[in-house]
Amino acid sequence: MKNFIYLVVLTIAFASCKKDSTVATIPVTSATVKDLMADTIIGTSLQGQPYGANKFTFYSLESNKIIASSDSASTKWDLAFKNTTILTNGGNSGPGKGGAFVLVGSYDGVTTIPADSTFKTDNAPTYAITAGSNKGWYVYDGMNNLINPIPGRVLMIRTASGNYAKVEILNYYRGGVTPPINASAAIKSSEQRYYTFRFTYQPNGTKTF
Amino acid sequence: MRYSYFPVILLCLTTTIQAQTADTLSGTADEIVVTATRTERKLSNVAVPVSIISQKKILQSGSLRLNDILQEQPGIFLTNGFGTGVQLQGLNPDYTLILIDGEPLVGRTAGILDINRITVGNIKKIEIVKGPSSSLYGSEALAGVINIITNKPNNNTLNLSARYGSFNTTDINVGGSFNKKKFSYQGFANAYFTDGFSIRPSSVERAIAPIQRNTTQHNFGYKFSPKTSLSVNFRYNDEKIKNIIAVTNNGVVTTSEGNEHNKDMNATLQLAYKFSNTLKNTFRLYATKFESLQQLATSNGTPYTDYFKQQFGRIENQTDYVITKQLELNAGIGYAIETANSTRYDNSNNQKDNRIGFAFVQSEWKPTSSFTLIAGARYDNNDLYAASFSPKIALRLKASDKLVFKASIGKGFKAPDFRQLYLNFTNAAAGGYSVLGTVEAQKIITQLDQIGQITSVENDYYRLGELQPEYSTGINIGANYTINEQLDLNVNAFKNIINNLIDSRLVAYKTGGAQIFSYLNVKNAYTEGIETALTYKATKTLTLMGGYQLLLSADKDDLNNINNQKVYTRDANGYSRLMRKNEYIGLPNRSKHMANLNIQYEKNKAFINLRLNYRSKWAVNDKDGNGLYNSNDEFANGYVQVNTAAGKNLNNKMDIQVGCNNLFNYEDVNNLPNLPGRIFYTKLTYSFFQ
Repeated sequence: MKNFIYLVVLTIAFASCKKDSTVATIPVTSATVKDLMADTIIGTSLQGQPYGANKFTFYSLESNKIIASSDSASTKWDLAFKNTTILTNGGNSGPGKGGAFVLVGSYDGVTTIPADSTFKTDNAPTYAITAGSNKGWYVYDGMNNLINPIPGRVLMIRTASGNYAKVEILNYYRGGVTPPINASAAIKSSEQRYYTFRFTYQPNGTKTF
Repeated sequence: MRYSYFPVILLCLTTTIQAQTADTLSGTADEIVVTATRTERKLSNVAVPVSIISQKKILQSGSLRLNDILQEQPGIFLTNGFGTGVQLQGLNPDYTLILIDGEPLVGRTAGILDINRITVGNIKKIEIVKGPSSSLYGSEALAGVINIITNKPNNNTLNLSARYGSFNTTDINVGGSFNKKKFSYQGFANAYFTDGFSIRPSSVERAIAPIQRNTTQHNFGYKFSPKTSLSVNFRYNDEKIKNIIAVTNNGVVTTSEGNEHNKDMNATLQLAYKFSNTLKNTFRLYATKFESLQQLATSNGTPYTDYFKQQFGRIENQTDYVITKQLELNAGIGYAIETANSTRYDNSNNQKDNRIGFAFVQSEWKPTSSFTLIAGARYDNNDLYAASFSPKIALRLKASDKLVFKASIGKGFKAPDFRQLYLNFTNAAAGGYSVLGTVEAQKIITQLDQIGQITSVENDYYRLGELQPEYSTGINIGANYTINEQLDLNVNAFKNIINNLIDSRLVAYKTGGAQIFSYLNVKNAYTEGIETALTYKATKTLTLMGGYQLLLSADKDDLNNINNQKVYTRDANGYSRLMRKNEYIGLPNRSKHMANLNIQYEKNKAFINLRLNYRSKWAVNDKDGNGLYNSNDEFANGYVQVNTAAGKNLNNKMDIQVGCNNLFNYEDVNNLPNLPGRIFYTKLTYSFFQ
């Protein structure tokens, strides 16, 4: 169950504080995570609704890996995924300093988190990364029963340890490919809840990527 | 699994199937048009864009239902879903008024009036007026008006026709008319059956379900005196559709089987009185009813019933007064009652109604034979929503014997329909979301909130209020250029600016996350384009007719978002990037280019034709999820459909015709499930008297 993560470290670049040459430069991490399972479908209810095991998958942006759910009450994780819900490690979701907001813009265009930004924290059932179709990171295409991440939505994340990261969800289906609109309901159901996302993590506490 | 046909009982007779007017395919300039001005006018004198489809053209195309013939007209795009709807000048089917003999048909589902309901067997001609016509017709006439004019009593005739083709599609018509002194009668009956088909392999469901349709129409006329005439018209249409619906969920197939039974009835009484050659009064009473019942038995044991009934009654009086040779005045006043019952409202026994009072006036000023100015307006007042005032002005200028210019500008409106006011529908099968009409929404959400069933309300909830009509302003500017006796060119440029469009919006969340939607006047859009029609009489026997429409459209919110750099799309890697303005393609389900060509050869009472229809690609799905349609989204491929027919008149009494539609077998399983592959048919017509 652990080999489903396929990590591609794209760049390890960017020196942080150029002005202060005495501080060792800590590189930002940029990576793409593929097929992160987020409560994938295990059965169908009598009413025909597919369901999962109702479990979050916890992820650390800092260490770029999945965190065991036994550590859910720790500050080891930064994001947790279940279905279309994404938690940050803060508020009533976890003990960390986590928070987030959704920015409309291009991923590469966000080089600095704007000074006037407000990070929200989770207060279930309201989340920092707003849940719901066309409210946060995705839109539900009811006609074709498909979930599409909205292009131009950057999730600005404050991690459990209080550092900053930016995340772009690229796809919600296995292999990073949305099923065709005429795919069967069975395929749309079994292939969903596999996140592909890219992120950039700034470990030095600044808001610049 | 074969659908057993009901015995066909043909009760009455009808109209002659043969072309009664000696029209030629192109030489329609002196035909009479009634729809454009609600008075009889020569087509060549009308100031707004009008096209006429003659009976001969309908017959020679081998059409059975109204969609068959409309599909071959330039600038008309037929939509699938809830039946077949008509998209005129790029506006949705909700915005075209469909009349039979001047009176409106009711019974729309999701705004779409299924034109499959209408047989062409007794159509004398179809008049299509493009551009807003609410100044004469009131609600729904934003994109235009399609008026189906049926056969009227003629000499004594009796005609029979039968057609048989692929999928056991059988169409039988009996028509006749009878005249005796002051009394006249015209009768018609049509029976249509098809086994239906599916082009999706191994599908239980059929794109076109097995259908049986019967239509009868009777028209009685009585001339009390040369000045006074009475006409009574009845039409009844009955359709039984066999439904097999299969829903697959994780490999488990749930099938629902049953029937859909739709009935529609129309009755008109018209009394016309001519005070003098210059003053005429017409009084009309009209009643219509549409009733639809769908009953399904589901393999998981849950029965399903969907019932809808709509009734419409109207009393109307129109006066036409020719004041001088240069000036004519037409004025009308009327009152209408509309009701609806549906299992999708709070209670199907609870009848919803609306009352509409209206008045219209139109004056035509013709200072010289080369200049006509028409100005008119209509006022519609009603119980349920704001009143509408719809003015229109049109002018026609004959620059020379060869060149005529036309220009018109008018306002159109569409009243909110009962669904948008009263719908109370919860889809239990798909997560329990609800759609509520605006009258119901606030009441129901408040009730749910009191018992703790509402988690949160959206900003749009606070914007819910009385729905306003949707409005459009339409401009048409065109010219007709008769280059020579052989060649005729028609060009029309149009723009429709639509405001206050009603769209569904998320207004609240129920406990458990299910969404509640309701309707708001939120959208603004426009459509614009150019239509051209060319007729070329190459020889006495060979005629070519071509048409082309360029169509552009946009949603104004989309344009604002693009201009404010809020719209992104994805590159080949799936990464977001800003969408460029030139990638925006406007409203979905519209082809930018549409064209048709009709090649007709006629000699010695025989004909052969080849009819080509082209549609360029059209957007079907917002694949990149950015909420609008752009060149990275999913499109249906453009295509050409070619139909052909040939016929011969044998001995003045018998006509034989054969035809093939979709000659090159074009299929698109996903986007054109209603288009079968190649089909063949043969038809025989017999006329007893001439």
